[in-house]
Amino acid sequence: MSAAAATPVPELDMFTMVVLRRRFESIIREMSNTLAKTGRSGVLNTALDFSCAVTDASFQSVSSGQGLPVHTGAVHLIPKAVADKFGDAVFAGDCFANNSSYHGNTHCADLTLCSPVFHDGEIVFWSVARAHFSDMGFPTPDTYAPLARDYYAEGLMLPCVRIQRGNRDVPEVVDICKANIRAPEQFYGDYLATLGAVRTGERRAREICEEFGIDVVKAFLVRFQDYAERMARAAIRTLPKATVSKEAFHDSVLADYPDGIPVRATVSIDPDAETIEIDLRDNVDNLPLGINMNEATILACCSTAVMNILGNDVPKCSGAFRRIEVLMREGSAIGIPRFPAATCASTTNLAHVLIEHIQSMFADVREGLGTAYATIGHPASAPVVSGVDSRFGGRPFVNQILLGYWGGPASHGHDGWLTYGSGTTQGMLWQSSIEVVESQQPVLVERIEVREDSHGPGTWVGGGGASCVLRARKDTLRFVCNSGARDFPPPGTAGGRPGAPNLAWRRTAEGQLIELPIFFDVEIAPGEALVSEGCGGGGYGEPARRDPEAVLSSVRKGLTSIEGARRDYGVAIASDGNSFEIDASETSRLRAEAAVTAE
Amino acid sequence: MNTMRHPAPFGIAVDVGGTFTDLVLRDAAGAAHLFKALTTPGDLSNGIFDGLAIMAADAGTNLANLLANTASFACGTTAATNAILEGKTARTALICTKGFRDVLLIREGGRPNGYGIGESYPEPFVPRELTFAVTERVDAEGSVEIPLNEDDVRAVVERIRASGAKAVAVALMWSVVNPAHELRIGALLAELLPDVSVSLSHRVAPVIGEYRRTSATALDASLKPVLRLQIRGLEERLAASGFAGQPTFVCSNGGRTSSIEITEKPVYLCLSGPSTAPAAANRLAKAAGVSHGNVITIDLGGTSLDASISRGGQVAMHREGSIGGHVFGVPSIDIATIGAGGGSIAWVDTGGMVQVGPRSAGSSPGPACYGRGGTQPTLTDANVVRGLLDPDRFADGQFRLSTDLARKAIASGVAEPLGITVEEAANLMALVAEQNMVAAIEDLAMRRGYDAREFLLVSGGAAGGLHAGPLARELGMRQLLVPRASSVLCAYGTATGDIKFDFARSFPTSDCGFDAAGVKSVLAELRREGEAFLDRMAVPRDKRVLRFTGDGHYQGQMSRITVDLTPAEADAPDAARLAAQFHAAHERLYAVSAPGDVVEFVSWAVEAIGSVSAEPEIRPASGRRERNPVRFRATACGRNGGEARFGVFDAEELTEGDVLVGPVLVQDRLTTVMVPVGATASVTAEGGLIMTFEVAEIGPAFDPRAA
Repeated sequence: MSAAAATPVPELDMFTMVVLRRRFESIIREMSNTLAKTGRSGVLNTALDFSCAVTDASFQSVSSGQGLPVHTGAVHLIPKAVADKFGDAVFAGDCFANNSSYHGNTHCADLTLCSPVFHDGEIVFWSVARAHFSDMGFPTPDTYAPLARDYYAEGLMLPCVRIQRGNRDVPEVVDICKANIRAPEQFYGDYLATLGAVRTGERRAREICEEFGIDVVKAFLVRFQDYAERMARAAIRTLPKATVSKEAFHDSVLADYPDGIPVRATVSIDPDAETIEIDLRDNVDNLPLGINMNEATILACCSTAVMNILGNDVPKCSGAFRRIEVLMREGSAIGIPRFPAATCASTTNLAHVLIEHIQSMFADVREGLGTAYATIGHPASAPVVSGVDSRFGGRPFVNQILLGYWGGPASHGHDGWLTYGSGTTQGMLWQSSIEVVESQQPVLVERIEVREDSHGPGTWVGGGGASCVLRARKDTLRFVCNSGARDFPPPGTAGGRPGAPNLAWRRTAEGQLIELPIFFDVEIAPGEALVSEGCGGGGYGEPARRDPEAVLSSVRKGLTSIEGARRDYGVAIASDGNSFEIDASETSRLRAEAAVTAE
Repeated sequence: MNTMRHPAPFGIAVDVGGTFTDLVLRDAAGAAHLFKALTTPGDLSNGIFDGLAIMAADAGTNLANLLANTASFACGTTAATNAILEGKTARTALICTKGFRDVLLIREGGRPNGYGIGESYPEPFVPRELTFAVTERVDAEGSVEIPLNEDDVRAVVERIRASGAKAVAVALMWSVVNPAHELRIGALLAELLPDVSVSLSHRVAPVIGEYRRTSATALDASLKPVLRLQIRGLEERLAASGFAGQPTFVCSNGGRTSSIEITEKPVYLCLSGPSTAPAAANRLAKAAGVSHGNVITIDLGGTSLDASISRGGQVAMHREGSIGGHVFGVPSIDIATIGAGGGSIAWVDTGGMVQVGPRSAGSSPGPACYGRGGTQPTLTDANVVRGLLDPDRFADGQFRLSTDLARKAIASGVAEPLGITVEEAANLMALVAEQNMVAAIEDLAMRRGYDAREFLLVSGGAAGGLHAGPLARELGMRQLLVPRASSVLCAYGTATGDIKFDFARSFPTSDCGFDAAGVKSVLAELRREGEAFLDRMAVPRDKRVLRFTGDGHYQGQMSRITVDLTPAEADAPDAARLAAQFHAAHERLYAVSAPGDVVEFVSWAVEAIGSVSAEPEIRPASGRRERNPVRFRATACGRNGGEARFGVFDAEELTEGDVLVGPVLVQDRLTTVMVPVGATASVTAEGGLIMTFEVAEIGPAFDPRAA
């Protein structure tokens, strides 16, 4: 994240600043709109799992907070990879494709396209669009492959290669993609949608240069990053000086880690220097799994967590990110991967822990700051589903369903956001409609409701998890899922407690429940069902301090059981089965007892 | 009998907004008289009668005489919107399919802002303790997976009775494909709870997607008991005051209907108020000689900007309209709303940039210059400081604005923190507000794949006249129309709008195995309903239009596309033609189509229209005489807030064909219009201004500060 031009920057009045800021935001909006409208797969046109960005020649991102946090937090690595690899051999009309963690990308299923924007023979911008493709040619119909032992067990890899020259496809590259990816026509449609976004960004950025003059635009870029940096500095200045270290765990499937995979961080806040340092070097070595993280996802997670703390007004661009120093170690699962470590699930599992892990540490810095933990991994109700559909003449399908990806983290003053999912997407993904899920694949959703007692207890409770049952109709369905949070459900913060753990079963035709592991690839035959009890988000603050009326309301809604109210919150509820009231004296006794035990 | 100033009989139109109530009186000679009164909070009738009193006084008569001479009374109202926003709807229960009690809680995801942790999750429209599941299930093909358990229904009915709910919404999975279970529950409710209002989802909003259908149905049920009372109250008070006719009400689809339809399907009253603006703008544009029908309409009021778009004269509609985050699901004008208006408050962020809105000073205390205790600088204060608003003539001189208070608020809130002059700060505030508006308008066009530069901008709202010019220029639009009626555009639209209501049925079939006989009988039923409505509204035969449509989608798609059927086709529906129309529309909207794929048609509708508004006489502004200003005002709209001299005209002194060359201000009773530097305005037959901008060739000439 280098500083910009060495030459003196011309003065720029605030009027031009205001106009250019909106012009650049408008570019991102138009790019995103193009992608959403022309994308073929549900992941793009319904869930909107993509992001667009523009960076300047020194790779500083200009957009501010549009797009998914995990996508945009370190988008600068993409044009940097092009410059590193191709040097001066980059020409107008080129477009580069990159889905490699070893070249600055997030994970294999996120295909990122990037093109240079020339003005008077000089590269002035890079236009970037990143989209989650519904298939990238993994060995199994999946886009995460948490059990991938190494790089070679991931999908097709495009390590920053030229996919267009002179605005025309490089046919060899496209042919290789089509030969390795399931549903090649859908792939090519989604590729064109992503390319359309990149070309739109390129055209609009060029128009701005022509209209305002390149010197004005360059001056704006410097001033805008400085402005964002000033906002970040001012926000950091209000925090206390502190250094906090903490460890959390992700579920393990490895014999080497029988007690879970640790996630460690040390956060140092320096309000005088107006910086925040995040040291991740004390983490375990690369794992023989797909969940290893990489530079792009780590930088994105760290900046997302810090931006969440610093507040909404700070623009989410390189200028603000300059105030965050991230220390990483090569060869670490939460660091820079050492080849050939697999990173195809680097945007999910450990990334899910890491964002809220960092946020939670701010609660130790000042009371009321930070958050609890959100959902870790995808619950079984949000799997990749594939098979053939006999209703439509045996039509094959592969899709990620987004049902019940919930469980947001509690924070001071706020219960967790229900449809949050994890910190990497923060509730921005769209949920699948049940009726649409049932028309797109031969599945019958028997139930999807908030799971009782799933909220992590706290003064403010975590968002609930989903209780969901997906039954196969006349066709066998294959479900692949990368969940987590079974042994280590999303922890609470500041005295808050963890949400309920993630659980999943195969229900046989006879009704027997057979438990599934956290990473599963299972076939569900007609009459059988996939049963998912999704994790809840962690709570914030002591549960015994929760307003008894809020507990009562939750009991009335059927979200908290009477036993749960007593056990978790020390609130006694009297009920005749229809009406519910607080037993005030018993509640006082329970809470006094809990206070004594706590001492 | 009093002597009245205007020839009777009258048509009265009222638009009750959040800050102001706008009123239009059209006299027998076709002249429109415009009024504005501050909205007094309270029920529907109070605000309206306050405005009618002003109108009667202006006409030189009393209320009874005014109403006795009134032939039609039309009303756009925020009654439904406010009831929902303020939680004043009826206590409502929801009956759903077992396993799906949280549909209204889950909504659809897609949190607008990805960052920020200090947000509480919104409550569902119907709380879980009033949501009751019954055992039943229909599958995606409409087959009964689990039969309806009537014992369950009876038990639920008893619990609803005990809960004291006054309304019940019934929304079951896939009822849109097979409504049998919903109909049976409806029959049981009618029998067992005859005094409770009931809404069935396949009737209210026959769409696929359980959230939208359920939400629309819950809103509909909850509004029924409340609006029935309010509307009856208004009707009775009008009758008691001397009005002999039937009032009509503006619906979310922009048309007018009677109280019968509204009390049957009150969800159609959502966003009633602003929905007539686009059709009014289209008519005014056409009358002014703009024939292409590509129009972006803005309505800039005290607290918000509403923007809508029409292409080829067709107003863009959608089914995604929402109030307070609750989707109301019925066809409505696609209106983008942002918190930017005269009352929007400005501040300086910690990075030293000026921000404006969405917080608003509203009408109380209002902008600092109102002198009612407001101390924070607002956009209206900025316009006073810029010298664009005459403090003595604001809102027809109903109250005087204080330049001192405006200056003071801007000095302490914006100018001093930035170390700039008050004048420069005021211009910066206006620019920031305008950029926010540009973003909203651009987004509206972009979402539909339109290029704003190919559109005419029509400005509405009292605050529109000062900002529409800079908006049009920044959006690259070449023409701007500020109608004489712009300050009360919605009320004007209500006065001149069509009678219209939608009737819809779900009846799924597909282009392979098309049930032509079934579709024909559904359409015949809809035709009878539409004709009965037009009979009730006393629409003459030659003014009637029945527009038949079917909604289709490719198998597995959630989005839907509406295709038209001519009345002849409605008598003999043809699968091949419908499918061909669908493929073409899909290609046009999404740049792709799949002619080999099966097209499913889910629902059918008729829009019953009474085109009672007279076709506007088309009179392009001739631009005969250039008028040179004789009066001037020194404004602070120059570079860095420096002085810039504007010519000043009164609207009254302009006549059709006059040409004004910017910079000029035109002052009217209820609004002021700015003709910026580089724009030329011609006075239209209606008395409005149509401006053309010198097209800024791409180059270094751009100066965002030019007024």
